[in-house]
Amino acid sequence: MQITERRIGEAVILDLVGELTYANRATFKASVERSKASGVRHLILNMQGVRFLDSSALGTLALLTQSLNVTKGTIGLLNPQSYVKEILTLANLHQLLPVYHSEPEALAACSLRKAG
Amino acid sequence: MAEPARRLEPQSVSDTSAKATPVILLVDDDEITRMGMAGRLKRLGYRVIEAGDGNAGLTAIRAQRPDLVILDWMMPGMDGPSVCEAIRADPELKSSQVVLMTAHDRPEQIAEGLSRGADDFLSKAASKQEVLARVQASLRSSALVRQIEHTRDDLDRSHRLLSAKQAELESELQSAADFVRAQLPLPGMPAAGVSMQWAYQPSLALGGDLFQVCSWGADALGLYILDASGHGVAAALRAVALMSFLREDNLAKAVGSLDPGAIITEANRLFPLTQDGEYFTLWVGRLDISSRMLSYATAGHSGAFLQAAGNGSRWLSMASLPLGFDPHSIFESMHTPLLSLDRLYLLSDGIYEAPSPTGELWGRPRLQATLEAHRSHSLGQSIADTMATARQWLAGDVFPDDVALLGLEMLESVTCHKERA
Repeated sequence: MQITERRIGEAVILDLVGELTYANRATFKASVERSKASGVRHLILNMQGVRFLDSSALGTLALLTQSLNVTKGTIGLLNPQSYVKEILTLANLHQLLPVYHSEPEALAACSLRKAG
Repeated sequence: MAEPARRLEPQSVSDTSAKATPVILLVDDDEITRMGMAGRLKRLGYRVIEAGDGNAGLTAIRAQRPDLVILDWMMPGMDGPSVCEAIRADPELKSSQVVLMTAHDRPEQIAEGLSRGADDFLSKAASKQEVLARVQASLRSSALVRQIEHTRDDLDRSHRLLSAKQAELESELQSAADFVRAQLPLPGMPAAGVSMQWAYQPSLALGGDLFQVCSWGADALGLYILDASGHGVAAALRAVALMSFLREDNLAKAVGSLDPGAIITEANRLFPLTQDGEYFTLWVGRLDISSRMLSYATAGHSGAFLQAAGNGSRWLSMASLPLGFDPHSIFESMHTPLLSLDRLYLLSDGIYEAPSPTGELWGRPRLQATLEAHRSHSLGQSIADTMATARQWLAGDVFPDDVALLGLEMLESVTCHKERA
């Protein structure tokens, strides 16, 4: 999995490309931890390039959501595609994780949450 | 000419005898020649042992394992090349470093000596420098061969240790797998008017998917299927922990109710996500035997299929998060009556996520169609046939995930009067 970090204001967009699975869970978590350690509170995971998500990844995302909630941070998913979208819906993860369809929409939501 | 020898001498001995003085076996029937050569070698710093013929030479090799053997070609009884052949034919000795010593150095003689097992040649008339150079070269080869043999022996030892450890671990895993399997319900009649069969095939020795059908009080059956994320020992241990929580006596204490929604709500509180993000999905049902009313609730588990005897087959699932995703989630029970000859299947996602050789998943629609196609068969046969069809799709016997398929059938005789009423 390739992960590119883009910092926009107080938010970070992680562009993920590849498969988010048990095998690369450590890479993903390390990348997220780096962002959190640098003081980022609003995390947007760009899922446009993610082809596959397994059950382990669902747990990782849920765990990440919980840890960001503790620190009053936010997390959102941007543009999940076909299969990944289906998995997220089946697992009901949209109850926990907002899904955005464009980058401006995701960034605006961060601002609103911040203001709120 | 003397210059190179001066450079070589101290280096040769120190290089080859960093740990111990190299031992050279000298085999020659001519005592004078042997003593002469032995003296030269000793003066070069080597330890020399001597033998007067081929047989004595072989005995000395076996007893002392010298670093180098220097053999005279012409000897009574076994000549040098014959000793070479005997050395190469002996598995214990065949890697010995052997130099044949001759009075001549004709090409055809050299070819014969090499073909019969010698590593090098040394002329009896060789200069001190040549003797030193050839002995050094042979000892270098000998040291390398010994090193390879030691490495091979170390590898063999490590392999034996690992194999023994592996066998021990596999045996322990098998014991644990036997224990887990012993927790599963016995096929048959878990309650009057209800028959039950199942198939279970963990992807590894230990599975993280478990299920149970057992009495909850005098007039109810508790049923559940759980899926611990991940695989192997850790997933199985976590699955057994949740299974313990779901025991009737524990539920009475921990939940104070046998309502599936209440059970899952409490399980959600008690089984948070692990630090690695591992979690459970869980489906719990309670079947009232008299009324045949099924109450059920689910935490992210969508593996319950009601195959109605008439119309109305459907998946008994609802939108819900897995255990631990949101500690504040409240899970509600749903209710549905089961009629005579209805079948309720509890199954793990491993069966419908079986991939074909091209990677296409079998999918719930195909699984459902297969169950429907086998509707006229007995419950046990239907489960066996469905597993067989999944294996055909997989084009193999080993599923990448745990596979569980449990079926309950409401028999006709007991409560048909209630249904008519």
